[in-house]
Amino acid sequence: MQASRARLFKEYKEVQREKAVDPDIQLVCDESNIFKWTALVKGPSETPYEGGVFQLAFSVPEQYPLQPPQVRFLTKIFHPNVHFKTGEICLDILKNAWSPAWTLQSVCRAIIALMAHPEPDSPLNCDSGNLLRSGDVRGYQSMARMYTRLAAMSKKG
Amino acid sequence: MESEDDMHDANDVESLDDDFYSGGTDDAPLDYYSDYDDDADDYFEDADRIESRRPEQNFTILKESDIQQRQEEDITRVATVLSISRVLASILLRHYNWSVSRVHDAWFADEDRVRNAVGLLEKPIVQHDNTGELTCGICFENYPRARIEMASCGHPYCITCWEGYISTSINDGPGCLMLRCPDPSCGAAVGQDMINLLTSDEDRQKYTRYLLRSYIEDNKKSKWCPAPGCEYAVTFDAGSGGNYDVSCLCSYSFCWNCTEEAHRPVDCGTVAKWIMKNSAESENMNWILANSKPCPKCKRPIEKNQGCMHMTCTPPCKYEFCWLCLGVWSDHGERTGGFYACNRYETAKQEGVYDDTERRREMAKNSLERYTHYYERWASNQSSRQKALADLQQMQNVHIEKLSDIQCQPESQLKFITEAWLQIVECRRVLKWTYAYGFYLQEHEHAKKQFFEYLQGEAESGLERLHQCAEKELQPFLCADDPSREFNDFRTKLAGLTSVTRNYFENLVRALENGLCDVDSNGASLSRATSSKSAAGSSKGRSGRVKGTFRTSMSSRMNDDSHWCCEHCTYANVKSATTCQMCYQRR
Repeated sequence: MQASRARLFKEYKEVQREKAVDPDIQLVCDESNIFKWTALVKGPSETPYEGGVFQLAFSVPEQYPLQPPQVRFLTKIFHPNVHFKTGEICLDILKNAWSPAWTLQSVCRAIIALMAHPEPDSPLNCDSGNLLRSGDVRGYQSMARMYTRLAAMSKKG
Repeated sequence: MESEDDMHDANDVESLDDDFYSGGTDDAPLDYYSDYDDDADDYFEDADRIESRRPEQNFTILKESDIQQRQEEDITRVATVLSISRVLASILLRHYNWSVSRVHDAWFADEDRVRNAVGLLEKPIVQHDNTGELTCGICFENYPRARIEMASCGHPYCITCWEGYISTSINDGPGCLMLRCPDPSCGAAVGQDMINLLTSDEDRQKYTRYLLRSYIEDNKKSKWCPAPGCEYAVTFDAGSGGNYDVSCLCSYSFCWNCTEEAHRPVDCGTVAKWIMKNSAESENMNWILANSKPCPKCKRPIEKNQGCMHMTCTPPCKYEFCWLCLGVWSDHGERTGGFYACNRYETAKQEGVYDDTERRREMAKNSLERYTHYYERWASNQSSRQKALADLQQMQNVHIEKLSDIQCQPESQLKFITEAWLQIVECRRVLKWTYAYGFYLQEHEHAKKQFFEYLQGEAESGLERLHQCAEKELQPFLCADDPSREFNDFRTKLAGLTSVTRNYFENLVRALENGLCDVDSNGASLSRATSSKSAAGSSKGRSGRVKGTFRTSMSSRMNDDSHWCCEHCTYANVKSATTCQMCYQRR
C-alpha cells in the first residue's frame, strides 16, 4: 500500500513537471484519491481518431506497480480492441506483458500507439475487427471517424 | 530438424546422452519383478521366461532425487562444454527444453543469436560509475549502490522492488522460469542466483519446484506418471520398437505414447476411439449395465464382489452360473466345445443361449447390441482387475503373514502367491483390451475373427483357472490350523498356472500386435506354429523364440500329425474327429 502510494506520488510529481513535454497526454489525479486517475489523450494524426480528444479512466490496484492499472475509455470509440459499450481495452501490457517499469504516462503512450495500430485479430469490438479483417479499411475508417466526430470532438467543431 | 533432432537424427550427440543415462539406469531400483523371477525359478524350469518377462527395458523411473541429480548433471555438462556459469547454463537449458544436444548445436551454430534470444548479455546496456546513488526504475527513489541490484543489463532496481517483482512473477506460475529484466525494452534474463538472493524461502521453494517440473514437463523424453498422487517421473528412450508400456514404481502401468493406462495389445488410436465411444454412449451403458444382475434362478439382485465369473447364489438358492451370460455354470465346460465359451459373442448368438425372443436375436446384429457386448466384457474385466488389485493388496498386507504363520513357511517362500496375483491383474488388463480389439476387428475377416475369439477364449479360461486357484483353492490353507501337507502341491500348481498363463498372454499380446498375421490363409499358420513348437522343444526354448506363435496351451493340442486344422476356424482337432470341435463345420 505504502509502496504504491509512494510510487504514484512520484508519478504525480513527474507529471506536473513533464506536462509541457508530451502535449498529447494530459494526466490528472483525482483530488481525493491518488489511486484514481483520468487522462485526456489526443487521437493520433493520420488516423480516423485525429482531432478527437479521448478520456481514459485509470483505476490503480494496491499492488501497483507490480500489478497493472485498470484502464478504460470513457469516451466512446470505434476501435477493434476497445469494447464499444464498456470502453475496456485489450492490450497485452495491461495484462500479461505488464512490467513494473511502465508508468501511467507510458501506458497512455501505448494506448495512443494502439489507436494508430489496431490489432484486428484480438477484437473486443467484433464489428470493427471484422471490417478490418475483411479488408474494408474505408468502412472501418469512416465508422471510426464518425464516432470520433460524434463523441470525441467539441460540439462547436 | 529443429525439434526432432535430439530424438532421432543427432545420433552422435545422442550417444553421449545414452552413456550418460545408462549410468543412472543401473542404480535405479525399479526392477521389482526381478526378485520374483529368481524365486520362482526354484519351482520352475523355464529358461525362456525371464527373457520374455523383461524385454530390454526402454524406460527409467525417476524419483525426485534422481530428477534433481540428472538436472544438475545436465547443467554441469552445458556449463563445462560452453565455459559459462551454471546459472547461465540453466537458463539456456530451460530455453531449449532441457535438451543438451540442442543447446550445444544452437550455441555453436550462432552464439550471438542464442545470447540474444535467451537474454544472456555479454556486457551491460547501462554503465554506472560506482559512486553515488542510483534511481530505481520501479519506485523512482534514489538509493545508494548497495541497495540496488541489476541483471546483466545493468538496469537498476532497488532490492525491495526486485523482491516484489520476483515474488509476483513466481506466484503467477512457471513463467517465472523465463524471468526477464523489468525494463520493457530489455530482454536480459534473470537467473537463479538473483532469485535465490531476493526471495523468501517459500517463493524459493516454489521456484525450485517449477524448475524441477520444467525438467520433466518440457523435456520430450520424460513425463510424470499420470497416476493420481504419484510423484515419480519416467524417461523413455524412443526408437526401440513399438512397446510404449511403462510401469511406474507406484505400480500404475501406462502407455508412454498416449498416457492412457497400459493397453497392449491395442494401439493408441484404437484406445482413443474406444474411450471416445465409451464416453459418447456412456449414458446408454449406464442403464444397460446396472450395478447388479438378478440371479437367473431366484431373481434376487446380485452384486459381484469376487474376482472370477463363477457365481454362486446365496443359500437357499445356491444356483451356480456365469456372471457374463447368466447361463448355468455346468454348461461352461469342455463338453460344450470350449472350456469357457462365454466370451464368444458370435457363438452365443448362433447357439441362442439366451432364451429371449427371436426378435432379440435379430437385434443382436444391431451395432449397439454389438457394442454393448464388447463394452460389458471390457468393463467387467476392468472391475475384475480393480478387485484383483484390492485382493493383491489384501494378500500382501494381511494374508501372506497369516499364511506364513499357519503353514510355517518364511514369507519369501510365499512370493509365488503375490506373483500369481500380479499376473492376474496384468491378465485382466490385457483381456480387457482384447475386447476393444475385438470390437474393432473387421467383420469380414472371418478367419481372423474366429481365431481371435478362440485365442481370447483360451486366454479367458486360462485366467479363470489361475484366478480360481489363487482365490478359492488358497482358502483352505488360510483357514487351516496346522501346516497342510498339500501346500507344496498347491504351490506347484499355482506357480505352474502363473507361468503358463503368463506365457500364453505374452504370446497373445504379440500375436494381436502383429495383427494376427499368422492367419494369412487357412491353416497355413498352424503348420508354422507347429514347427516352431518342435524347434522350441528341441532347444528348450532358449533360441527358438518365434514371434507371434503359441507354444503353450495351444500348441500342446497340435502335436504334428495327430491333429487336423479346421479350414474355417483354424482349430486343431484330434484326428479322429470328423467335424470341427470348435465351429462344428465338417472336415
